Amino acid sequence: MKLKMGVDIGGLALKNPIITASGTFGYGEEYSDYFDLNRLGAIVVKGLSLKPREGNPPPRIIETASGMLNAIGLQNVGVRAFIDEKLPWLRGTNSPVVANIFGETIEDYVNVVEILNDAEGVAAVEVNISCPNVKRGGIAFGSDPILAGEITRAVKNASRLPVIVKLTPNVTDITEIARATEAAGADALSLINTITGMSVDIEKRIPHLENVTGGLSGPAIKPVAIRMVWEVVNAVSIPVIGVGGIMNARDAIEFLIVGAKAVQVGTANFINPGIAVDIVDDMRKYMTEKGISDINNLIGTLKI
Amino acid sequence: MKSYISATVFSQRETVGGHFLIVLKVPSSFKESLPGQFVMVRVKSCNHPFLSRPFSIYSVYSHGKNTFLEILYKVVGKGTEVFSRLREGDILNILGPLGKGFDLPSECDKIVLIAGGVGIAPLSFLAEYCEKDSNHAEIICYMGAGNLEALVGMDRINGICSVVKISTDDGSWGHPGSVTELFGRDMELYLGNDSRIYSCGPNPMLRSLHQLLRDQHVACQVSLEERMACGIGACLGCVVKTKSDGLVRVCKEGPVFDINSIEFSDHNG
Repeated sequence: MKLKMGVDIGGLALKNPIITASGTFGYGEEYSDYFDLNRLGAIVVKGLSLKPREGNPPPRIIETASGMLNAIGLQNVGVRAFIDEKLPWLRGTNSPVVANIFGETIEDYVNVVEILNDAEGVAAVEVNISCPNVKRGGIAFGSDPILAGEITRAVKNASRLPVIVKLTPNVTDITEIARATEAAGADALSLINTITGMSVDIEKRIPHLENVTGGLSGPAIKPVAIRMVWEVVNAVSIPVIGVGGIMNARDAIEFLIVGAKAVQVGTANFINPGIAVDIVDDMRKYMTEKGISDINNLIGTLKI
Repeated sequence: MKSYISATVFSQRETVGGHFLIVLKVPSSFKESLPGQFVMVRVKSCNHPFLSRPFSIYSVYSHGKNTFLEILYKVVGKGTEVFSRLREGDILNILGPLGKGFDLPSECDKIVLIAGGVGIAPLSFLAEYCEKDSNHAEIICYMGAGNLEALVGMDRINGICSVVKISTDDGSWGHPGSVTELFGRDMELYLGNDSRIYSCGPNPMLRSLHQLLRDQHVACQVSLEERMACGIGACLGCVVKTKSDGLVRVCKEGPVFDINSIEFSDHNG
């Protein structure tokens, strides 16, 4: 059976629905020793800001039950160095490159987008309004529907590329934020970013992370992510990308069944750098076994 | 292409209290491992512990058609506790060899190793590596531990080095006090251009070594330990503060650094 795995995410055509998540895949090159990046649906690079950022002081990570907390603090080379030093290498792959962007003010986001507009080899931008580990910007924009709408509109107006908005789960009602960003012109949504958490060293009575709190990721958060994706899919009509705790094809398929048009693999990349293509292969097996010739016939087929 | 591979446990035994030597059967590609490099290890199909754990390579060797990799480790938490219960035939997933190892000494260097506890592991691999190169005149090792029972890896290092000097914090063997103190008493012997110093151990020990060597013109490389999620430079979880390059990744730019390049603080020592 010839399998069709291609999906369309708000004007961005993907050869398959498996994307590597921002912050877990460096700038792509780190993983090129482990598999052929051309096999990915898309690559989302580490969040880019206008100026380089050093990030938070260590310790930055701690393992938790079936997951991990991180407080990296958006360490990145800055958008200009990304374009000069990282993007030329990425142009050698034919998987679309999505630039995840971050700022402390709306102007920061707009400036980053304007710089990316002129860069060859970026297929879309993903707007991070959901980082829990920085003092300003990030989650502050993502937890208020009015601000989330404003920033989405500003980025959308400035961008020549499709705009994906990445949502935080750290809100009372994620559908409210989803609707506000859709109304402001988002082409697609990705969710969820990490869930804010904390862990304590009981010997020293100090937090395990220097930043005190961090973002929880890994299989521990998958049920929350599935629930939120399902809620958002039912609340908006733009495509939704499911993110959160995907460790294998079965997890990815769960997201597709509840209505995600694509998924992002994150923390799993840390454990097995070749996992994203294993998921592509195993998803093909599932489709063959179930007689599904087009992945789009699987998306949103949850029976309730 | 590199990959995340399965390795079978060939043997495991407790060497001294709370310290284990595990021998893994690995693909022949691991023969390229250099002293100071590390591997990421995880129990296959197990989410507890969830993340892989980084370990220095203690030794790699071939026997017949097989390649074996040894890890010498101390049980310090959940991950190492689970590893310590592994038996012959159990399967691990491993990634490596990773990171930048020690700059190997050139001919005629006097090689000085300063080890704190299980920090002996990468230094012992370095000593083995240098021993094969017969041009090296002398390998001297300073080893410290909390007490006699915690002196790990001593038999092997004794067989390689011309001199092994011991310190224990409680005085149960050798010099009573720290290994840095013990080394400090002999330091004058190693300040020439022909000496290369290598060290690995707990961060407070490396910090005191850094203070001791700060005003000396002597090459000293240290292997650092840090929590890691990926081991390949992507997660940015394992950064350490350096004097001139800001925060850098222990997994990629290290784990071996020039001792003078590190900004030792409360966290890293």
